[in-house]
Amino acid sequence: MKKRVVKIVKIISIIAAVFFVISFTVYFFNLDMKLTAAIEPYLEKWHDKVKRERKL
Amino acid sequence: MGKKIGSERLGDLYQPGKKVRKRREWRGVKDTLYDYSRWLHTMGILGKFMLNKNNVKAFFRYRWMLNFLAVPMMVDRHTAGLRGNHLRIAHTEYDLVVEDVAKLMANMFRADKNTGNDREFSKKLVILDENEMSHLLCGFPNLIGVGREIPAVYVSVLLQQDAVCHYIDVAQEYGLSGDVCPMPEAEAGVSIDDDYPIFGACALQCNTTCDGSLMGNGVIARRLEKEHGIPCFQLAAPIRHTEDGVQEYAAQEIRNAIKFIEDCTGEKWDWDAYFECAKRFNAETRERMEWLQMSTTEYPQVIGANLALYTETVYMAIGGKVPAFLKADKKITKLAMDSFRKKEMIVPEYRHRAIIWGVQAQYYTDFLPWLQNCWGILPLVDMLSMVSTRMISEDDPKQAIYDMAHLYENMIMRNRTHGGYKVLLNDLWGFCQQFHADMVILWEHMSCKALDGMHGLFEEQAREHGIRLIWAVHDLMDPRVVPRASLRQDVNRYMRSVLREEPLDPSLEEIDDADSW
Repeated sequence: MKKRVVKIVKIISIIAAVFFVISFTVYFFNLDMKLTAAIEPYLEKWHDKVKRERKL
Repeated sequence: MGKKIGSERLGDLYQPGKKVRKRREWRGVKDTLYDYSRWLHTMGILGKFMLNKNNVKAFFRYRWMLNFLAVPMMVDRHTAGLRGNHLRIAHTEYDLVVEDVAKLMANMFRADKNTGNDREFSKKLVILDENEMSHLLCGFPNLIGVGREIPAVYVSVLLQQDAVCHYIDVAQEYGLSGDVCPMPEAEAGVSIDDDYPIFGACALQCNTTCDGSLMGNGVIARRLEKEHGIPCFQLAAPIRHTEDGVQEYAAQEIRNAIKFIEDCTGEKWDWDAYFECAKRFNAETRERMEWLQMSTTEYPQVIGANLALYTETVYMAIGGKVPAFLKADKKITKLAMDSFRKKEMIVPEYRHRAIIWGVQAQYYTDFLPWLQNCWGILPLVDMLSMVSTRMISEDDPKQAIYDMAHLYENMIMRNRTHGGYKVLLNDLWGFCQQFHADMVILWEHMSCKALDGMHGLFEEQAREHGIRLIWAVHDLMDPRVVPRASLRQDVNRYMRSVLREEPLDPSLEEIDDADSW
């Protein structure tokens, strides 16, 4: 039982550590904003094609 | 780079020609981890928002939704250089603002004909103007007031400086004047471009700020009524709102608006619900007065753009309806009092104490953090934060009608741009005295005639009062007309040539953010 708990705690700790390292790297180097800035032009092109009833 | 205020060269984070910054700020271990935790919180809100199919549909239906890709960067721009309690105060404000806007949009898209199309829910929504108090909805606990223009226009420009240029161009293609205020012009442009969600039992418009607003409201109301069958009410609050003679008329407008909502929704006005909000609204006002009181001392704590944006949300959009905001207010006061006792400063040196007056450049609200970080000019309070601090009745229905009339007359911006020269011009010098300010940064919104007409009088009276006056010329929501760099140049020139001062952070004096969000 004790072994099992230790194993689970270990796995959770590893997952938490990996999550922290990846997410902190994304945060600090602003990778989230760099990615969204890169995809925005494609989304703009999409919106140019959306049908709208433009009128006063 | 470090935990001390002013230890990072903030200008080095900019990337010329790019939309975003090189990296986020290093604020020392404790503050960086705290900032990281708030970033995670923001990402969590955005992630949860995108798990809803209505919201995903809206993302691919409405062009302005793309601006919300920049939410984390907006928070970064407004927390630049902050450490310790000041960073925590700013995040307490923005956490709640982000949550509230996400909730507002989720409600809109649930009811919207183009996305969720929940017709029963749609009947519970009342459309409000962007720049309008939501206070009338306090007496209708089963209804929700929703400003379609808040996410589509107002918040969009906070997020990306060129967010509404497309809609301004659309409005002008359809013959609307090019020299009108870009805010109502963009709002009308969204309507013309068929880019507003369609929902609601009725719409309550108000003669909020100017003739431009009336123009925009006319275009929007016509489409709402003729095409979508959504009835509109025009709440015409008096212009000279400080005069006793207009108050009975103002109160009657409130009664008419209540009757209109009752007729359209079948709901009945509930005084118990109203007074519950009124108590909370008064409590929020008392917290704000504490912050303003601190700003009269040598150690101001809750100031600048963050105070303005938060006040706009609490005073106008919330109006006592959401208990979480009062809780946040109390937390902010606690943090601020702690810093005040310790005599903590927001930037390493306070060289000038400034009142920020006029209508802010919506595409550059982080101009105020720039002022403090670059030149040590402390933006104590701005015109938009100087709203009514009058306590409203918590138990008298007769008085409450007049209180509501007072609030609608004294909405943010309207309380100064309407009401004559006394509230716009004369009051400013009183605030300079109250807050011991030696400087006024005067936004000159070039399309706002109500303000521009006073240009010469402001200059003349600033000289008389011995106040240093710096004009910051802008075009509210159109950075193509006056870019952000030009606003900074207005200040740089004055600081260099008139005051002969050197910047606190020289890396911020000349920065290339023309293409930045």
